Amino acid sequence: MLAHKKLWSILSLMIILSLALVACGGPGTPTAEEPAAGEETGGEEPAGEEDQVVITVAAGAVGKELEIAKAEAERYMEEHPNVKVELLETPDYVQDRLGVLLQYFEAESPDLDVAQVDVIWPGDLAQHLVDLNEYGAEEYTDKHFEAIVENNTVDGRLVAMPWFIDAGMLYYRTDLLEKYGYSGPPRTWEELTEMAETIQAGEREEGNQDFWGFVWQGDEYEGLTCDALEWQFSNSGHNFVSMDREVMVTDPDTIEIFELAASWVGSISPPGVTGMGEEGAREVWQAGNAAFHRNWPYVYSLSQGEDSEVAGKFDVSPLPAGRNGRSAATLGGWQLAVSKYSDNPEIAADVAFFLTGEEEQKIRAIEMGNNPTIKSLYEDEEVLEASPFMGKLYDVFVNAVPRPSTQTAPKYNEVSTAYFTAIHSILTGEKDALTAMEECEVEMENIISTLE
Amino acid sequence: MSNNGGGPSELAKQEARLARLLLLPSIIILLVVAVYPLGDTFFASFTNRQFAGGETTDQTFVGLSNYRQLLGMTIKELKPVRVTLENEIVYERAIDVLPREPHLYRQVTQFTLFGRRFVLGAREPDFILAVKDTMIYTVASVILETILGLGIAMVVNSKFRGRGLMRAAMLVPWAIPTVVSARLWGWMLRPTRVGLFNTLFSAIGIGGGNISFLTNKSLQLPVLIAVDVWKTTPFMALMLLAGLQMISQDLYEAADVDGAGKVRQFLSITLPLLRPSLAVALVFRTLDALRAFDVFNVLLSRQRLSMASFTYEQLIQFQTAGLSSASGVLIFLLIFAFAVLYVQLLGVET
Repeated sequence: MLAHKKLWSILSLMIILSLALVACGGPGTPTAEEPAAGEETGGEEPAGEEDQVVITVAAGAVGKELEIAKAEAERYMEEHPNVKVELLETPDYVQDRLGVLLQYFEAESPDLDVAQVDVIWPGDLAQHLVDLNEYGAEEYTDKHFEAIVENNTVDGRLVAMPWFIDAGMLYYRTDLLEKYGYSGPPRTWEELTEMAETIQAGEREEGNQDFWGFVWQGDEYEGLTCDALEWQFSNSGHNFVSMDREVMVTDPDTIEIFELAASWVGSISPPGVTGMGEEGAREVWQAGNAAFHRNWPYVYSLSQGEDSEVAGKFDVSPLPAGRNGRSAATLGGWQLAVSKYSDNPEIAADVAFFLTGEEEQKIRAIEMGNNPTIKSLYEDEEVLEASPFMGKLYDVFVNAVPRPSTQTAPKYNEVSTAYFTAIHSILTGEKDALTAMEECEVEMENIISTLE
Repeated sequence: MSNNGGGPSELAKQEARLARLLLLPSIIILLVVAVYPLGDTFFASFTNRQFAGGETTDQTFVGLSNYRQLLGMTIKELKPVRVTLENEIVYERAIDVLPREPHLYRQVTQFTLFGRRFVLGAREPDFILAVKDTMIYTVASVILETILGLGIAMVVNSKFRGRGLMRAAMLVPWAIPTVVSARLWGWMLRPTRVGLFNTLFSAIGIGGGNISFLTNKSLQLPVLIAVDVWKTTPFMALMLLAGLQMISQDLYEAADVDGAGKVRQFLSITLPLLRPSLAVALVFRTLDALRAFDVFNVLLSRQRLSMASFTYEQLIQFQTAGLSSASGVLIFLLIFAFAVLYVQLLGVET
């Protein structure tokens, strides 16, 4: 009897151990290998065999993106039956996505072939990415916006294909503007503040205690840099780091607009706005509890969706202008890059070209409201029918303001962190604007002084 | 077992050799999995290695400069500059006083001592604040968990119907992975009435449905401590329950006969006999709390860093593998110091 018990316990222990080992060796998990060893993991097979080649694409999963990406993968696989395209979901916040990519690159892992990279990363990540010109990118590049192709070219190497362009926009409730007697969206920040106050007071009186005038991204992260750059540029006419690496954050126009933004917190914006990212703010907007909303274009199609309270009741416009600047929209956007450590860079590059090609960009434009980087699509009838705002905002996209990632590479993240940390402390009332920005200036100059 | 007054017998030596051979696989695995990465981190802390730096950056040996950066602190006096109309003294500004060359010192906090005002500056203020926040978090959550855990353990130790079920049910918070429960709490703590707490509080008249728990500096740590106490009290309760069950009922019966009250019994019988289990549970919990990462990362991301999330941020955001390794080593030393302290104070037998 005892022997049987012992046997069973040994057997169950072995089963558990083997299950654990199998779980550890699954595909898609970043295996941190010691740099000395270079062993392969994951389910890749060398190209040229009859078996399937697996290409792993790390794509964003914000909003509807994941569904679209899966459909795109299906379409590629239909045309190329010997290739299996697998999707690797990445976290919502941009910084966390960078973390995932860096882990793969540090391990020089072949498990990741194609990666979605933010517009501010090509400078930092160039050494891990292949030159797409070697795989025939010239065929495609002149269809795209020149500015983005230039942004993605580091030391003469094209390290990423433009996929979609993003720029900050103002979403506004057409029904509420009509109700309170406004003829159109606000042109200046003062106008926006005043309109938001009126609408908020009115809606609250009617019983909607959860209504706010203006929601945006105020959490302590890169998204705040985007919002703040729009405020700063629209009021002062300049960026926070100039092309010659000069730090410019303490001039009166800049301070003025940051003080205005801080005054919104708790009055026309919820106190929790300093903890809101893109999705947090969108929640408030889409439930019908905001008059104005600053966000990226992806919100458009979601707001028209079935579960949205604002479907059919809103429109978009360029962001308001300030005193000495013009309406400014931060340039965002994503690109597709191919990892240098991929086993099948040629096929991976082909996947990248397919996904960024005219047909796929058109589908994304219609179904997701992603703005294509291919210029001709802005005159395409079907695209304009689905997203009429694209035509209206073409000029906005072409003139969008890029963040100073090129001038400050490879330390852009540190510079941006100093910027958004300082602004966050102004928004929460911890510091006054002038002190915070002066300290920020000292910090940024210190970081820039360490660049070559 | 020895014979003829000589050393160990041939058999004993053979067994010892076999034992060493059988232990070899475990030791090798331990070396590879634990010692090598630890050693690598320790080594990296003395270099300026970049994470995912590829071929463009060589790592060079920089000695203690990473440690100097993390621990570099200075105290400077702020002299009064003028007096305002309302009789308030205006002092010099910290950024005018703190040194900038050869290294930039940024303000951590200001304080007043003997009527004079000082500023504490550091080269890496985030690290100093992270250490301070982690300490406060650790002390508060461990104290609360121990008290509550002891209470729960004593309740569950007594006989009542459904005791087995109760013991299983009380483990549920601890069984849920921290990341998942942090997300759950994140939903409940939403700053508008989407969140559970705001709905409850506004129903009873506090806050108006807009309390932003996670962005309010004075509410952040209490919230994190609450989340951790919810999650880990069951663990403490379990460990203390095991200790309670080892105490013989006879002792209590004898004390009843002698006329000792419940409180006296608790202080004289329960606590002393519980000391070993209490010590073990405290050591586990404190070391765990010092390494807190999930709650800070999921709920507060960059707004408030713990020592572990600071290390993570340095590595992933800024790719400074050298600095973040140094930070990791410092955390290790701190935890080690706590462990040694506990062993001495609580008399845990090694």
